[in-house]
Amino acid sequence: MKLAFVVQRYGADIAGGSEMHCRQLAERLSSRHDVTVLTTCARDYVTWENAYPPGTSVENGVRVQRFPVARTRNLKAFADLSDEVFDDVGSNPEREVEWFRANGPHTPALLEHVRVHGGEYDLLLFWAFRYAPTFFGVPLVSDRAVLLPTAEEDPAVDLGVLPEFFAKPAGYLFLTPEEETLVSTRAGRALGPSQIIGIGLEPERATRPARDVLERLGVPAEFVLYLGRVDRNKGCATLLEYFQEYIDGGGDTTLVLAGPATLMIPDHPRIRALGYVADDVRRALLSHARALIVPSPYESLSIVLLEAWNHATPALVNAYCKVLQGQVRRASGGLYYRSSREFQEALSWLLDNNAGRRELGEQGLAYVDREYRWPTVLERVERLLEEVSRRRSKAPA
Amino acid sequence: MSASTDAVMAELQGRVRERVRAELVRHGASAALEDPALFADIDTMLRAAIERSQPAALLLPELLGDPSTWRLDTAIKYQTHRGAAGAPIIFVKQRVLMPLLRWFYEFNRDNFERQRRINQVLFACVQELAIEVAKQRRELQALSAQSVQRRP
Repeated sequence: MKLAFVVQRYGADIAGGSEMHCRQLAERLSSRHDVTVLTTCARDYVTWENAYPPGTSVENGVRVQRFPVARTRNLKAFADLSDEVFDDVGSNPEREVEWFRANGPHTPALLEHVRVHGGEYDLLLFWAFRYAPTFFGVPLVSDRAVLLPTAEEDPAVDLGVLPEFFAKPAGYLFLTPEEETLVSTRAGRALGPSQIIGIGLEPERATRPARDVLERLGVPAEFVLYLGRVDRNKGCATLLEYFQEYIDGGGDTTLVLAGPATLMIPDHPRIRALGYVADDVRRALLSHARALIVPSPYESLSIVLLEAWNHATPALVNAYCKVLQGQVRRASGGLYYRSSREFQEALSWLLDNNAGRRELGEQGLAYVDREYRWPTVLERVERLLEEVSRRRSKAPA
Repeated sequence: MSASTDAVMAELQGRVRERVRAELVRHGASAALEDPALFADIDTMLRAAIERSQPAALLLPELLGDPSTWRLDTAIKYQTHRGAAGAPIIFVKQRVLMPLLRWFYEFNRDNFERQRRINQVLFACVQELAIEVAKQRRELQALSAQSVQRRP
């Protein structure tokens, strides 16, 4: 099949979740299909400033066609517009559409390419509904568009213009069952063919990473881990508060935070902030942690949670995020909390029950083996692509 | 204990619920909460309400009427009734005053967001209670009708 992958940014040095998902699928599907990635020249997701040269190149075996961003994002105007539309969801469709335009990346040449050449592709896969290339691109080729919404329960998903948009694509690839429910509920009608694919993970190496890399960083033998951007929006302020209450109540462990911080981390003897960590440290942390804590209230799929299970490490997650709670319950790979008291009880259980903790971790690993290995994921993607193609070929011209 | 997430969580949540109940009673909450089973029912009902507190699922906003009379409005709209003569005022508000006051605006906006969430949760709780009362009223009416029919 001739496939186009439309995504807001693309590159090996781009860490965003939907961008990485797109790249991993593109690299794996390009040996079976004629894949072209249609993307922008942006690297920075805040400003969308052009950083890569426009034009066609081949990156890790994938043809990539880049289009320049015509206008960087005006952050102040975007913040004001966000206030306006989220304050009054559904009341002004024109302003909501304007929100998608302001969110960017504003790339008219990419949309023009989709409009003029879209018919040359068998199918076009679009990542992330909230970005302009997807929001404005899907309607141009809706009969052959497959949407990967990467939708979370944040205010954007409630925008009044979305039910119509969510009903347009010819097929859908979801990351989790919760995301499918969210999108079909917002669409207000049964969706076309879909598959829940998640993401693929390679099995971890047979040998466990050595601890010495952690000792050099002063990480104690017993610790629980937060891995990712240390940010208020990721639930980290609440995590720090709950953890200190846990320690004040007699808890005995260390919280290791691994990732760049955008909030003030308290100077506490039981909180250790490592900042950004290299891959070998990351693997060692995931492997040796007593548990991974995922405090984020919004996730469409927690890759770090799957990575922890890939090391048979159990998780403690924020239950207010339906996706996280759903993943943990389906895997039976950890516990969840809604309050400081539940956090303390759950963390104590994980630290005090060695056998139970290991069992939850092993169940997490079994879940990853069952659901998130590449052959399984690619088989589901192929099934959906074939189904959409078949329906298209049967549809009247 | 078997290491199943649901089983462990049921036990942990039960333990937390019991501790919360005991504290509430100790601090003077209604004597009705001394009954653990009743407290568990209340807890379940309120949790369900919180789960269903997304704005699109709430009835009260529909019944409250004109949103401008009750909804928290956190977006600043730069408007003037002075026509073209108001343009300099909007310019000063937007380009001079707003940058100076932005931190204060954002601080307040965060607090208003929290208030908005609380309002939605309270709307959802009232809705849940109204549903329960309406269902009980129906059941009561059905029972009353049955007992009237059975009377010789």
